[in-house]
Amino acid sequence: MIVTVRSGRITAIEGDPLNPATAGRVCLKGLSYADRITAADRITTPLRRRSGGAGFERVDWDSALDDIAARLERLRSESGPSSVLYYEGSGSHGALSVLSDAFWNPFGGPTRTHGDLCWPAGLEAGRLTYGANLHSHPRLTVESRFILMWGHNPAETNIHQMRLILEAQEKGAVVAVVDPRSTDTSDAADIHVQPRPGTDTALALGLANVIVEAGLHDEAYLSRHATGVGEYLARAREFPPERVGAITGIDPEGIRELALAYGRTRPALLIAGFGLQRHSHAGQTMRAVALLPALTGNVGVPGGGWQYANLASHQLRPPPLPPAPQGPPRSILAARLGRGILDCADPRIRAAWIEKANPVSQHPSTASVVRGLETLDLLVVVDQFMTDSARLAHYVLPAKSMFEQEDLVTAYWHPYLQLRRRILAPPGQVKAESEIWRLLCVRFGFETNFFAADPRETLRAMLPEGKADLLESLESEPVDPSGNGELLWRDGVFPTPSGKIEFASPEAARLWGVDPVPDYVALEEGHESARAGRHPLQLLTCKTRERIHSQFGNLEWIRQVERPRRLDIHPADARARGLSDGDAAQVWNDRGSVRVKVHLDPGIRPGVVHVIEGRCVPEDPEMNRLIGDGVTDMNFGAVFYECLVEVSKP
Amino acid sequence: MRGAGFVLDLGRCVGCGACVLGCRLSNAWPAGVSWRRIVPFNLDRRGGGPTYHLSLSCHHCERPACVNACPAGAYTKRSDGVVVLNEERCIGCRYCEMACPFDAPSYDGAAGVMTKCHLCSERIDSRLQPACVAACPTEALTFRGRNGVEREKEPVPGFSDPAGCAPSLDFIPPRRAKRSHLYERLREVLKR
Repeated sequence: MIVTVRSGRITAIEGDPLNPATAGRVCLKGLSYADRITAADRITTPLRRRSGGAGFERVDWDSALDDIAARLERLRSESGPSSVLYYEGSGSHGALSVLSDAFWNPFGGPTRTHGDLCWPAGLEAGRLTYGANLHSHPRLTVESRFILMWGHNPAETNIHQMRLILEAQEKGAVVAVVDPRSTDTSDAADIHVQPRPGTDTALALGLANVIVEAGLHDEAYLSRHATGVGEYLARAREFPPERVGAITGIDPEGIRELALAYGRTRPALLIAGFGLQRHSHAGQTMRAVALLPALTGNVGVPGGGWQYANLASHQLRPPPLPPAPQGPPRSILAARLGRGILDCADPRIRAAWIEKANPVSQHPSTASVVRGLETLDLLVVVDQFMTDSARLAHYVLPAKSMFEQEDLVTAYWHPYLQLRRRILAPPGQVKAESEIWRLLCVRFGFETNFFAADPRETLRAMLPEGKADLLESLESEPVDPSGNGELLWRDGVFPTPSGKIEFASPEAARLWGVDPVPDYVALEEGHESARAGRHPLQLLTCKTRERIHSQFGNLEWIRQVERPRRLDIHPADARARGLSDGDAAQVWNDRGSVRVKVHLDPGIRPGVVHVIEGRCVPEDPEMNRLIGDGVTDMNFGAVFYECLVEVSKP
Repeated sequence: MRGAGFVLDLGRCVGCGACVLGCRLSNAWPAGVSWRRIVPFNLDRRGGGPTYHLSLSCHHCERPACVNACPAGAYTKRSDGVVVLNEERCIGCRYCEMACPFDAPSYDGAAGVMTKCHLCSERIDSRLQPACVAACPTEALTFRGRNGVEREKEPVPGFSDPAGCAPSLDFIPPRRAKRSHLYERLREVLKR
């Protein structure tokens, strides 16, 4: 982004024309930073909960940090360092976030979290299958002749990718979308199939079945660059279109058509969305889908292949830090944060420090998260705004914005490392998080040398080996630090145990106890489960272009363009429940009940309902109250899209 | 010859709203004012879909109702077709707001005057794109100079010209396979 500032206010925000992934454009959230930086509700001083619990009062930094430090010290001596939970999310994240360990390491190691809410199952599936999560440069998208987007909606979640897809389509590429909902992406597509949520493994194996039956698999490529193909083909044979049709609820003819179109057209690009892996068998689903580009010989081909995550820019090393305590830290599941806090014993968790995160809004099982945080003797939340989580805190410390401290940021679609310049002074009493950590270190008598006066010193130490001059290059343009080049996997060599693409993954079986070859397993909370008798509708809570989860929705600029959060429900499902467009409805299951207005959506698959996720302002529905705190089969993800509900009149 | 105006590619606009905020950032309109908005059409998916989005602002009409309605002479139509409002002459009577069938003039209550898209006339005079066009991530919204080619003659569902103002906004209909087919079917459905 190129940002112009005049007298402390942002007057222009443009995309960097030197970034070929974005073509010099910025999404609406990027543009809304002009509002966000100076928003009237931005927190600019430390706040302390009033005694008696009602509301907050302003407090100066010294009083706040003296008291917080004294209370942390008391907890540490009474119950040990792991009686304190440190939880950081990824909101407003930068490389300098790692400096929190300059405090926590000498503190003795807090309880931490593992896994995340976003995409870990897909990452692990990609790693097990291809050895690394990398893909070709986004600009090769336009060379594709067939683009299959699976559980992916870039019209909402990656507008820059949408531009490339539309461009490819205008050059003649066929675009197909697999999504139970109709979206602006599926509306642009030539083919749209709408499976039942959670049945994608069966659909992927069904496509493989048709592709192999028709002889469209690339035997020469497979014999050189893949292992476990025989076992996989045997599995695919168990999934003829008729069986897959019964599981997925898609007409078998539609399965055949999609498979043949994908199998016959090269180069074909398969892009998987994160939503595809938010259920309990997600890792195996992602393995099944990720293998299709390999089966058809599309890997290493310009305009073809597999796209889920591109970690090419994730090359930073940790800066010098004090030694971590011996042994692994105590850790609780991020996906099960509330229960984790409540269940921890010896010592129990008595305090939490939450940074760059809003778990009350964003974690599944809201009730347990609130209960967990309410039991604490001390809750410190660092944030720019008064979030649902901050409201429960004893102290809310103001966080900097991304324009107020120099930092390095990595990406997960394009390969570029980027330098974020400091272009504004933090407003009011706001301090960068690294400065908050330094001040705590001072109070505890810990070493403060790790906090360089100029953050650039720390950033330089984090650059990849031998690339210390990269910072200066980054001042003028984004840099791909990986040296991988534009086209990935051209040589057909993969950093897996076998050096090949693993159709059967012994490592998956060993690490996660799953079948080495992906198999379809019905969801515990799916359409065939016992629960479906009482709660027959599958709830999806998908992302939207106007927000990143619980961020941005408070801004007046965003509210001007934002759509209301309503329950998208098929007219037939609504009619069966006596509901019309605009009615208030109760969405409920045994975990809770949420009131939302009905929006009749003839484009959504019957049996599926949808509400946009991300609770930011009090009038947003708390859909996460209805969602369980289950965990994915691989890598500790959350299962947001495995949630059965019923909808009725209030 | 028609004057300058916007061109919207219905197959490329996904309604993201970056044009709205790009305009707001460049032209610094205050809260409560809106020079551009996204109007989704066919959310109920008549004809099977698609839903598409109209990014609308002032259309810099050939026969602008605002110009005729203004008792203060605050509006002028430039030789290149751009309809500009001189806020200093505006008396805040809001007649233009009533006359314009497109809700283009937007009242700034704090300043007591109307405000409106001026097609970033200063930017286009220095050969820059209007701010909304520069902000469009999918390049769906473009700018057509007064010598630009006219595109779509057929009426676009969701958009009409009830007062005969002859808006200078042009549309490019969806061109590709299924979407184009559904779009044509929607037209048929709406004609019936």
